[in-house]
Amino acid sequence: MDLKMKVNHLPALTYRFLKSNDSEIDLKDINIEDTVSPDPEDVPSGVTVEKNVSEADVAKLFQAAKDKIKSKDKGLAGPNGDTFPLNKGQIIRSGMGIEVDNLMDEMKVLSTVITAGEGVKATEPIHIRYSLADGDCTLGRQVICAKKDSEITVIMEYDSEAEANGLLGISTRLLAEEGAKINLIKVQMLSEKQVHFDDIGGVVDDRADIDVITMQLGAGKTWHGCCVNLLGKNSVFNNHTGYLCRHEQTYDMNYIADQYGEKTESNMVFRGVLLDKAEKTFRGTLDFKAGSSGSVGDEQEDTLLLSPDVINRTVPVILCQEEDVDGRHGATIGQLGDDTLFYMQSRGIDEDSAKKLMIRARMESIARMIPDEAIIVRIQQFIRTIL
Amino acid sequence: MSDNNKTVVDIDRSVYDIKDVENEQDFYRMEDGFTEDIVRKISEEKHDPEWMKEFRLNSLKLYNELEMPDWGPDTDELDMNLISSYVRSKTDMKGKWEDVPEDIKNTFERLGIPEAERESLAGVGAQYDSELVYHNVKDEVADQGVVYTDMESALTGEYADMVHEYFMKLVPPTDHKYAALHGAVWSGGSFVYVPKGVKVDIPLQSYFRLNAAGAGQFEHTLIIVDEGADLHFIEGCSAPKYNVANLHAGCVELFVKKNARLRYSTIENWSKNMYNLNTKRALVEEGARMEWVSGSFGSHTSYLYPMTILKGDHSTMEYTGITFAGKGQNLDTGAKVVHQGKYTSSLISTKSISKSGGIGTYRSSVIINKEAKHAKTSVSCDSLMLDSISRADTIPGMDIRTDDADVGHEAKIGRISDEAVFYLMSRGLSEEDARAMIVSGFANPVSKELPLEYAVEMNNLIKLEMSGG
Amino acid sequence: MSEQSLLQVSGLSSAVEDLPILHDINLTIKAGETHVLMGPNGAGKSTLGYTLMGNPHYKVTGGSIIFDGQDITNDSPDKRAKAGMFLSFQNPLEVPGISLGSFIRNAYHEQTGKPVKLLQYKKQLAEAMDLLTMDGSYADRDLNVGFSGGEKKKAEILQMLMLNPKLAILDETDSGLDVDAVRTVSKGIQEYQKKKDGALLIITHSTKILEALHVDYTHVLVKGHIVTTGDGSLVEEINEHGFEKYVRCEGCDGCSPLK
Repeated sequence: MDLKMKVNHLPALTYRFLKSNDSEIDLKDINIEDTVSPDPEDVPSGVTVEKNVSEADVAKLFQAAKDKIKSKDKGLAGPNGDTFPLNKGQIIRSGMGIEVDNLMDEMKVLSTVITAGEGVKATEPIHIRYSLADGDCTLGRQVICAKKDSEITVIMEYDSEAEANGLLGISTRLLAEEGAKINLIKVQMLSEKQVHFDDIGGVVDDRADIDVITMQLGAGKTWHGCCVNLLGKNSVFNNHTGYLCRHEQTYDMNYIADQYGEKTESNMVFRGVLLDKAEKTFRGTLDFKAGSSGSVGDEQEDTLLLSPDVINRTVPVILCQEEDVDGRHGATIGQLGDDTLFYMQSRGIDEDSAKKLMIRARMESIARMIPDEAIIVRIQQFIRTIL
Repeated sequence: MSDNNKTVVDIDRSVYDIKDVENEQDFYRMEDGFTEDIVRKISEEKHDPEWMKEFRLNSLKLYNELEMPDWGPDTDELDMNLISSYVRSKTDMKGKWEDVPEDIKNTFERLGIPEAERESLAGVGAQYDSELVYHNVKDEVADQGVVYTDMESALTGEYADMVHEYFMKLVPPTDHKYAALHGAVWSGGSFVYVPKGVKVDIPLQSYFRLNAAGAGQFEHTLIIVDEGADLHFIEGCSAPKYNVANLHAGCVELFVKKNARLRYSTIENWSKNMYNLNTKRALVEEGARMEWVSGSFGSHTSYLYPMTILKGDHSTMEYTGITFAGKGQNLDTGAKVVHQGKYTSSLISTKSISKSGGIGTYRSSVIINKEAKHAKTSVSCDSLMLDSISRADTIPGMDIRTDDADVGHEAKIGRISDEAVFYLMSRGLSEEDARAMIVSGFANPVSKELPLEYAVEMNNLIKLEMSGG
Repeated sequence: MSEQSLLQVSGLSSAVEDLPILHDINLTIKAGETHVLMGPNGAGKSTLGYTLMGNPHYKVTGGSIIFDGQDITNDSPDKRAKAGMFLSFQNPLEVPGISLGSFIRNAYHEQTGKPVKLLQYKKQLAEAMDLLTMDGSYADRDLNVGFSGGEKKKAEILQMLMLNPKLAILDETDSGLDVDAVRTVSKGIQEYQKKKDGALLIITHSTKILEALHVDYTHVLVKGHIVTTGDGSLVEEINEHGFEKYVRCEGCDGCSPLK
């Protein structure tokens, strides 16, 4: 089949010449053969896993959240160039948008629902590992649901045989009920011949918390979207993304924090390195909805450019319809600073080694937040092989 | 904090809103809409050279082909069939203020225009609806070889070739729908040429007044600052409020030659029925500097993003802007910059205030091309929300194509902090004054870039906004 | 010269963005010697440190720097470091993602080109940290990230002890430190002095840090010129009388450009 879809819509469109309003996935002659998620491993007690759940049942899970979002809609006009209406049909708004849902539905991909029961604190991480062989084209869907006052950690790791061709498309939806916490870690170390997309949509209720850590290290072309709806009072979204793009890798991302509730908090950190002819498009949006009084949002992007042939697109958006908020965005983009280089050199580290050290430092600063030593070691090894 | 103090009122615009009843015999008004027939008539009326007539007709074709942007404020309520492209007073342009017809003169005098000239300007141009009614340059400035004239005279006069060479080369009609429209029906505006090495110490000023209801103003400003020269150009805009839409689709083309400097200041205070779809662009050569100071207060809807092309090595630009979006306004403003030359630098700093249901959008683009080694850019945009029925959005885009660039970006959105208000009140200020002082302080980086009389006007506008009464 | 000098600076002038800062500096440091460079604020003391270490912002506009027999005037900072020069920074770099311990190990490896013997390295590091009353956990913390001013300075001295340079230039290592911290840093410097051949150039505008140290030479830098050179006792004199007389140009031998 051919696959053609528009994803990663910027929540508020801007000039067309910036070519950042959305991105197109256009693949010819792919043969999607596997649409089942691998079994989650290391499932602690109190956590249940239900496989092959239909969209109708997933919709039921999110119904209460959907109603709550609706009740908060004050019918006010959106931003100029609003793309919110494009994705209205989604069960829950995701970063990449409705066309991922449509594809999954068309390919009859069923969800694996992982649920932490009320009050269950599952401290040990659950692992879901996709290991692709040459030619594999796989789609997968998960729902992670943390019931009231529970906590759950899920680590998803994607790798493949070296030089393996193929496609891996993932959709993960998150529901953190009152007082609950979801830690989601995604580590992508696919071969550079892989095409990869990964879509996240989340809902956070009162006092609940979603923490996402993403390491994008492999794949030739990657699309990544993440939209978290901060629905409840005092809900929190923390995100840390580390990426390393080299050769002709492309990385297209769309992060959105929809802040509906009072006193919500979002913190997003993006730390990346571009080498060779790598191309990256970053969209990051803080959206303070009417009624989100007392909310704060912070988005920090830090990109190291280490080749004259890279392309770096950045669109950091802040949308605001509420007076009592504090939103910030900062971006630093450029090569290794003179002061950094001088300090390193004064300790005998030459320019080339200093660059490698700084690449490792950036990746390491995100990777070490992952609560699994073995994966950190695998990431370190992967980076060492690259460098 | 009491709700009472959060209510903010509309600016007292009475001085701008005084309309002159246009006596039909005194004015020539083109029928509404934009057709080939109308464009031909305008061309005839203006005694265009042949190339300009062709240019207009080609532009009109483009206008009909091009689509509206899908990203900006809604323009559905702007019915182009109800806009008159050309309204002219049946008077020739005057070189002496006394000769300007009484009613027009009254309008400008109420706005303080000739007064400003007497005090601190090197030259003044005043456009009333579609044509310039007054143009004057101080002798000592003219003696330096500085040319400041209306576009029509420039088109056929001594500088005809220069105009032909530069006209809509920087903003081609293909650029977007309203640039095409401008190309088809443009009228009025100023031509400025500052010869090599000439430094004009005091500013030149153009003032645009759109008086006729349902009319469009399409003035064209072309400024060439030759090598090593220096100029400050100020433009002011206003219109009385009508219940029908007015349209402003002007075009400003600025050429800043090697080692020259141009500062272009705008205070835009169109009435709130105006669709301000204006295009401004500067081409900056080696070692030259472009400075923009931009205050957007008026209009119903604005699309305004002055663009700077840093073509020459070591060229620089600085953009300082403020936008004040009040009730019923959707002001989408910002800046664009393209770094082409090496060692180029840009600094964009904007402030945006939203209140009473107004929508303020900061939108920008920074492009650093592969050849622009050692480019440096810094963008900082702050938004202030004065209530919870307004919108303040920030949509900056960047496209960086070289590693050898230093890119910094900062955006902040927030409110007036209760602590700051409390602090000032503890020193004896009323809450109202405290809030006004904080907003003035917020706008200060912009007002300090304006000529004094404009800074004073801006601060008065802010005080009026904040006084609640 | 019978005994070869470690550092020979001759007629050195340098500038920042075309603004001349140092003028005709002559300075000779032999192995094992401790030199102190003093002077009022803005005299160019830090500039001398940066210029010696090869900071690209500071352009050498005249003269030469011979280090350990090699002309290093145009060498990159890493080459100077590999040759045995060390500069402790006033505001050291913060690097999230690289621990202090791992950074020193990297630098050590780069300088020696030899693989680091882990056990021996760890023992050495622990000893040095102990001497500087640094908690062992600092080795695992990100380089200078979240360190207090004093901790940053200690981390610099720790690097000096571990990298064991031939010449250590300490740029205002005592500034902003409390009495205890100055004492600790001073202890670290004494440890370095104990090595017979380790030379020091201590840049400071106060004398606190020098109290427990043996000083061979003192230089006074004013407006980019070395206006006088004396032995350790000059420190005492400046401590009592300040720089006043040098700024006024009294008792200065041969500083005519000061006019």
